[in-house]
Amino acid sequence: MNSYISIPRILKAASLMLLTITLTSCEIDDFPDPNNPIIEPNASVTELNYLVVGTESGMRNFLGTYYDNVGVIGREHYRFSGADPRFTTDLLGFSTSVLDDNTFYTTNPWGARYRVVKNANILIERAENSTLITEEQRQGYIGFAKTIKAHQLLMNLTMTNENGIRIEVEDVDNPGPIVKGDDAYAALANLLNEAATHLGSAGTTFAFPLSAGFAGFDTPATFLEFNRGLAARIAVYRGRYSEALTLLEASFLDLTGNFDRGVYYTFSTAPGDQLNPLFFAPNATGEVRIAHPSFVADATPGDARLSKVSLRTASATQNFLTGQYDVAVYSSLLDPVPIIRNEELILIYAEAKIQTNQLGDAVTALNRIRTANNIGVYTGPQTQQALITEMLRQRRYSLYFEGHRWVDMRRYNRLSELPIDRAGDDVWVSFPIPFAES
Amino acid sequence: MKVIILFLWMLPFALFGQTTISGTVTDFGSGIALPGVSVVVVGTTVGTTTDASGSYKLQLPTTSGKVQFSFLGYVAQTFNVNASTETLNVQLQEKTTSLQEVVVTGLATTVKRTNLANAVSTISTKEITGITSPQTMDAAISGKLVGANIVSNSGAPGGGIAIKLRGITSVFGNAQPLYVVDGVIIDNSSISAGLNAVTAAASGGSSSNQDNPSNRIADLNPDDIESIEVLKGASAAAIYGSLASAGVVIITTKRGAMGKTLVDFSQDIGWTEVTKLLGMRELNEERVRDSWGDEAVPLFLEARNAGRLIDYEEELYGNKGLLLSSKLNVSGGTEKTRFFVGGLIQDEEGIVKTTGYEKKSIRFNLDHVLSKRFDFSLSTNYINSSADRGLTNNDNAGVSFGVALSSTPSFVNLFPDAEGNYPENPFAASNFLQTRDLMTNNEETNRFLGGFTLNTMLYETLRSSTKLVIRSGLDFYNLKTTAIFPRQLQFQSDGRGTNGASIQGNTNNLNTNYAAFLVNNTNLGEDVFSFTTTLGATRENFNQDNILNVATQLIKTQTNLDQSGAVQVSQDQLKVRNKGLFFQEEVNFRDRIIATAGLRLDKSSNNADVNKFQAFPKASLALNVANFDFWTMERVAMLKLRVAYGESGGFPPFGSKYTSFVASNTGGLPGLLVAVQRGNENIKQERQKELEAGVDIGLLGDKVILEATVYNKTVSDLIINQNLKPSTGFTRGYVNAGELRNRGIELALSATPFETAGLKWDSRTSFWLNRSKITELTIPPFTIGGFGNTLGTFFIEEGKSATQITGIKGNEGVQVLGDSQPDFQMNFHNFFTIKQNFTFSFLFHWKNGGDNINLTELLTDLGGTSPDYDDDDNGDGVPNAEERVRALGVSAEPFVQDASYLRLREIGLYYTLPNTLLDGAFGGFVRTLKVGASANNLFIITDYKSYDPEVSNFGGNGLSTGVEVMPFPNSRRIFFHFAIGF
Repeated sequence: MNSYISIPRILKAASLMLLTITLTSCEIDDFPDPNNPIIEPNASVTELNYLVVGTESGMRNFLGTYYDNVGVIGREHYRFSGADPRFTTDLLGFSTSVLDDNTFYTTNPWGARYRVVKNANILIERAENSTLITEEQRQGYIGFAKTIKAHQLLMNLTMTNENGIRIEVEDVDNPGPIVKGDDAYAALANLLNEAATHLGSAGTTFAFPLSAGFAGFDTPATFLEFNRGLAARIAVYRGRYSEALTLLEASFLDLTGNFDRGVYYTFSTAPGDQLNPLFFAPNATGEVRIAHPSFVADATPGDARLSKVSLRTASATQNFLTGQYDVAVYSSLLDPVPIIRNEELILIYAEAKIQTNQLGDAVTALNRIRTANNIGVYTGPQTQQALITEMLRQRRYSLYFEGHRWVDMRRYNRLSELPIDRAGDDVWVSFPIPFAES
Repeated sequence: MKVIILFLWMLPFALFGQTTISGTVTDFGSGIALPGVSVVVVGTTVGTTTDASGSYKLQLPTTSGKVQFSFLGYVAQTFNVNASTETLNVQLQEKTTSLQEVVVTGLATTVKRTNLANAVSTISTKEITGITSPQTMDAAISGKLVGANIVSNSGAPGGGIAIKLRGITSVFGNAQPLYVVDGVIIDNSSISAGLNAVTAAASGGSSSNQDNPSNRIADLNPDDIESIEVLKGASAAAIYGSLASAGVVIITTKRGAMGKTLVDFSQDIGWTEVTKLLGMRELNEERVRDSWGDEAVPLFLEARNAGRLIDYEEELYGNKGLLLSSKLNVSGGTEKTRFFVGGLIQDEEGIVKTTGYEKKSIRFNLDHVLSKRFDFSLSTNYINSSADRGLTNNDNAGVSFGVALSSTPSFVNLFPDAEGNYPENPFAASNFLQTRDLMTNNEETNRFLGGFTLNTMLYETLRSSTKLVIRSGLDFYNLKTTAIFPRQLQFQSDGRGTNGASIQGNTNNLNTNYAAFLVNNTNLGEDVFSFTTTLGATRENFNQDNILNVATQLIKTQTNLDQSGAVQVSQDQLKVRNKGLFFQEEVNFRDRIIATAGLRLDKSSNNADVNKFQAFPKASLALNVANFDFWTMERVAMLKLRVAYGESGGFPPFGSKYTSFVASNTGGLPGLLVAVQRGNENIKQERQKELEAGVDIGLLGDKVILEATVYNKTVSDLIINQNLKPSTGFTRGYVNAGELRNRGIELALSATPFETAGLKWDSRTSFWLNRSKITELTIPPFTIGGFGNTLGTFFIEEGKSATQITGIKGNEGVQVLGDSQPDFQMNFHNFFTIKQNFTFSFLFHWKNGGDNINLTELLTDLGGTSPDYDDDDNGDGVPNAEERVRALGVSAEPFVQDASYLRLREIGLYYTLPNTLLDGAFGGFVRTLKVGASANNLFIITDYKSYDPEVSNFGGNGLSTGVEVMPFPNSRRIFFHFAIGF
């Protein structure tokens, strides 16, 4: 029965005010993302260069999955994993397994390439709108961005092939249609040509740095040689062989030069950088890449390119598949991985010469590859048909584990020639478009 | 359970002006005398406590008055005393689920359970720690909550749990309840130790967290807890605001009582062992040749002939871990000041050697009355915990214990030689014995919780009082995660890894919350109507800063981050600011009609529009039919009809509005790559609307109480992390894009079937079920929380259950293969008091239905180690494992398995020494002495084909519980207890 009404109503009112003032009247700050930056609409050289480096860096995301996809289906290697069986089931069409349009091997490489495309598109848009750079600098940025964009789109197109890709993806809410068949390859060729025009008016130096992977290709003029090399690759994919020969002339093709000269993905242990995902130590167990037995079995004895595999101390077995050899293309986590190199250009040259019936030039080029690998000169029939087979064979060994075998056999309708290891296995023609695109 | 049961004998005696009363206080159930009970004349400072035999004598300052008897863990009783009272013997009743208890429903107000319009689950101290000793706070509530689906993520020391109250509340937003301890909002994050750097678990396609971290709620000492109340949905929790959209777990810790200082010490000692091993495959030459090739045959023969076939599963998981736990509680106080001190030292080994859990906790709670106008209470807790959790769950590098075990046959030798060199495991990427012995995966927490409440009586008359409550809470912890993988490990040496990795994470988390309330109580018309008005404001600041360092290329055996060839650093900050306002009015008409209405306003920095208040109303009505004058059925002491409605809404996840660039470097140059998440500049809170209705019936003097509830909970503006067309460069983005519904039934029957001096049996049986449905989805259906349709995945689709599991099924394409939602759950909780000295109690938990995605069996099949590999269950001539492996890529059906179980969660038997014996032995020095034995998970009956149907590879939040890939097996815990009180 207490009644200490000594606190006057004014105090009651005051405490009410205290409540409202201290706790609610002040606004909540609409603070920016505390973890990550944005790029200003009117971007400076520094900001644009962040986008250039990010674009180059992003090209390596999920590279391991991409090479496993095309290498396993192309019967270049087996990927045994203690943790994920799908490399030996889905990818090889084991039993009634099929490629899944909604799992990591389909979606991750696809998404990673388009993420770089997005970055390149932002770079193009910011470079176009920047008032803080010179015209030549602008052309350099755009030429770089369009070239890389074309390469990234090509990587996805090699996976999905006749299922197509999206080309116009600037509008996030309304991306363009899926473009199929030669229209898609044509669009990429066109994109590379646009890039070439930009590079042609980009002056003598770029305003941005590139990694050592672009050593020798880091000025507008030399970067253009890389661009033309990619364009030549697309030209032979399209069966436009004389065009390919023209493009090769503007590329860094050097018939007598170092096979390994070219543009590379690089890796390091520096902060925010990545390690080579294609390297597994020899004789590893559990997670391994095993050379397909046919690679050694079919090889010409003494072929120097057999050094791309190494004999294991014990064979590796999983899911009824066995192999004696590790894939040994790379010898450390820091080894660079080629994007395109001279050896491929020589083989593109050979292919275009065969197809344009200049067989002598083709044999010269093929012999250059053969002799350098200790298997002597070509002695087979000098027919288009025989030389195509020979050219594909040299591509198989020269470009082993570089993502070409499956693509080559597909474009020459020879997928049925790839070995089947288990009854019921399939050789897939192409990856489905990811589920999320529908 | 029962209402007040008191026995008092009044002898008519006229005395002088002052009345002296005496008597004894005993426990109602056991009849044991209760020493230390505080006996106070209400409104005075006059008081005493009962002695060792439970007796007291008290002289009242006046001829009549009120005397209150209170004791920790018991329902306090107040009696009118007049000159004719001489002897007052009191039987106090232990708090179980007494209807007289008050339930904290509002932020600053309470309601008697009998007047409640919601089904609020309460777990008392007797249920939390009374049967057995839980390892962590989260384990203490498993199987005890009606309406909850509680799944522990694994058996790893240190806990890790997912709690879903009344179904799925949010798919991507917060689906875990809010935890409030004495008014302090505490953080329940699960913070990854960055093991992905070694396991590459998330590089294979799933970005979910698969590192098996514990949740931070595990830090609390279960023995400090007086009661846990659970408000399960918006109809009850609306006033707590949007943070409580998935429910609130209100934890009240023990506080001191006026009277003699009580000292209680208890010691637990026990062991833990794995509940179930899967077994190893029996091998012969032919089987070895088939699974491991010709080269393995001589190895097998050599090992077999030497009798050296090893059961590696037992070797790995068969450790008997020692469990030790010491607790000391000291409590007491005077009329003005009361205190409670709780201390804990816990040291537990795990079922895998080198794993274990240690905790030290000290709590100090203080209540002080400054004057008639002011009083305050302070709650503080310091915790140091350390968990060594091993390396389990999914990985893509073949390095976690289970994944390596799955492909390791019994004939290899993995044991170290005399110099401590471990042989390489030729059949897996790692030698798991080496990994176990040499690696470290430790989580160490140092945490301080502090809560302060100041009550100020602003105004008080006979009819009306107004109180100002100011409350603040602080939760700070530092979590240090240390994962060391030395360079000599099989998967780190010879270029197969990174030549050692030292992964060290450091997280500082600071949560502060402030609240102020004005509470007015007004009575009108001689207690006919009473009004409780609450007006309040709340404010919460959450800050988390996580720095993760991954050092590789370690120098020799060094583990310091700088003793390495390469360091990768990442930092992740979280910053949230919330503000809320609320108003609530409660009207009580003679405990017959109780109506409540309220409005909550919320805004948050997580919303796109940070300063726009969202309004969430609530209203409820309870009708105590039996309290009306017309009610004459004496057998039905209570009949309550109740209905409650409330709205709430989960905030968008932190960061969902930002479109940013992330660092992506190459060539030693800094670069930016667009983030895969597209920010949503219009993201807003979800809106949950919950309607619940129920009836509570109390029969036979409340010896039988039935509580029945139905609810319908809808969540609209459902926040979904939508899969975007990856060709746009973004793979995900948060959108408000749908609506889901949960409907369910909760039944709880409490009864005291026997109550005699020799035997008392309290029993509670509960039944609950929930059905969820995605009622609207404005984006295409999508998979979530699994490994794709080949292996089975969750699939969110309009018109279907939110927890359905789909997968490929032969020619039929993708089909629904299961649902993780249990058909129903039941528990059966029993407490027996025998001959006043023995207490025997147990808890059965039955989960019927609900499927898991079991990929453990798949991995052992692929690895050639499944125990039933060569059996042929369906007699078609194809061995089981081959048949299952053949299904891979064809059908996901074999992986989706029924995870029903019946589990004896807890059982305990205790003997309390009779007082006469104690007095004889210790001369009254010892107040109580108890010994006992108990067990947790003593047995599980299940058809599920792995370690335990309670499992989650992806941790606690979201939908993805019940997916398993070689988890840390669950364990059984068996204890002996000794407790002494002074």
